[in-house]
Amino acid sequence: MKGRERGPRIVLGALAAVGLLISGYLTWVHYAGVAPECVGGSGGCETVQASSYATILGVPVAALGLVGYSGLLLSAFLRGGDGAYLGLLVALVGTLFSAYLTYLELFVIHAVCEWCVASATVMVAALIGAAARIWRLGEEGRAMEQ
Amino acid sequence: MSSKRSPRRKRSPLGSPRTLLALIVGVAIVVAALLAVLSQFGGPQGGSASGKDLGELYSGIPQDGTTLGEGGAPVTIYLYEDFQCPVCGQFSRQTLPEVVDRDVRSGGVKVVSEPVNVIGPDSVPAAKAALAAGEQDRYWQYAQLLFEHQGGENSGYVTDEFLKSQAEKTPGLDVGEWGSDLKGSSVTRQLQASQAKAQLAGVQGTPTLIFSGPGGQTELVGFYDYDRISRAIAQVD
Repeated sequence: MKGRERGPRIVLGALAAVGLLISGYLTWVHYAGVAPECVGGSGGCETVQASSYATILGVPVAALGLVGYSGLLLSAFLRGGDGAYLGLLVALVGTLFSAYLTYLELFVIHAVCEWCVASATVMVAALIGAAARIWRLGEEGRAMEQ
Repeated sequence: MSSKRSPRRKRSPLGSPRTLLALIVGVAIVVAALLAVLSQFGGPQGGSASGKDLGELYSGIPQDGTTLGEGGAPVTIYLYEDFQCPVCGQFSRQTLPEVVDRDVRSGGVKVVSEPVNVIGPDSVPAAKAALAAGEQDRYWQYAQLLFEHQGGENSGYVTDEFLKSQAEKTPGLDVGEWGSDLKGSSVTRQLQASQAKAQLAGVQGTPTLIFSGPGGQTELVGFYDYDRISRAIAQVD
């Protein structure tokens, strides 16, 4: 019956890999002290990365993303309820925090970083995937009880 | 009836799936809120990109209009900058605080900002707003805030509300007086004078830094780290 959650797990694993690439690049940019490549050369990524919101207690937000996406990847590897609920928790925290960061970009920093938007999109997709996994797990449980 | 029992799903020790889901949602909200609160400690009110508070960065350093530092400093850096220019923002956030700390504070260097418009129409109100803060000798704090909250070039972020919100964040600035100065003709004249100086100096892009001292004059255009700036200072000192 594990096959029912196989699809969402693969999707979550792929999303986590994409997220790790994005946050890994932004973490490297932070520590290398170079400007991130921003689509269209708008300079928005550089502005956001150089803003004081780019770190939390000295830790780059991108590095927190690395931790989050690693958790998401781990959840994709774990079968059953443990993995499903871990994935939901990580994706929910990630989505809520991404929403806050997007608010900061639009209304406080007044610059938009395409990498951050891409990461937020990945997180929202991961939340949908995690919810689907929980749903399928629930269906599986109900089928077993019948 | 069959005695064969269906395999039962292992129940979570936390109770029903609904309870577990509610717990996850609650924990997620708390963690996200905590991260949001912690992020405020690194926000513009708490410190600049250099890690220094605005007040701390400029405290004890004399300011006169757009000039930062002792009037008799042997080396002067003329900084031609556009508040919409991303590279100017990068310089202001990453390099300038170190120059201020190590060279301006000691009295060896003074920096004269010459705000210009090379990017587009929105650069004009931004420059005027900074010059209006300069009327109260708060130019540098305001300019730093403009760069900290810089948006995309000509993206429309330079609104009256945006400029006023930076004025409200500027330590020691009388916002009412700033508003009056912003409408006055003095800031327009100052901006025109800076533009004329830029033309005379042959400024092609921003930031342009012209180092002037007893040892002569040198020029750098673009973003440079502190080491390069320090070498240019030593060259003209």
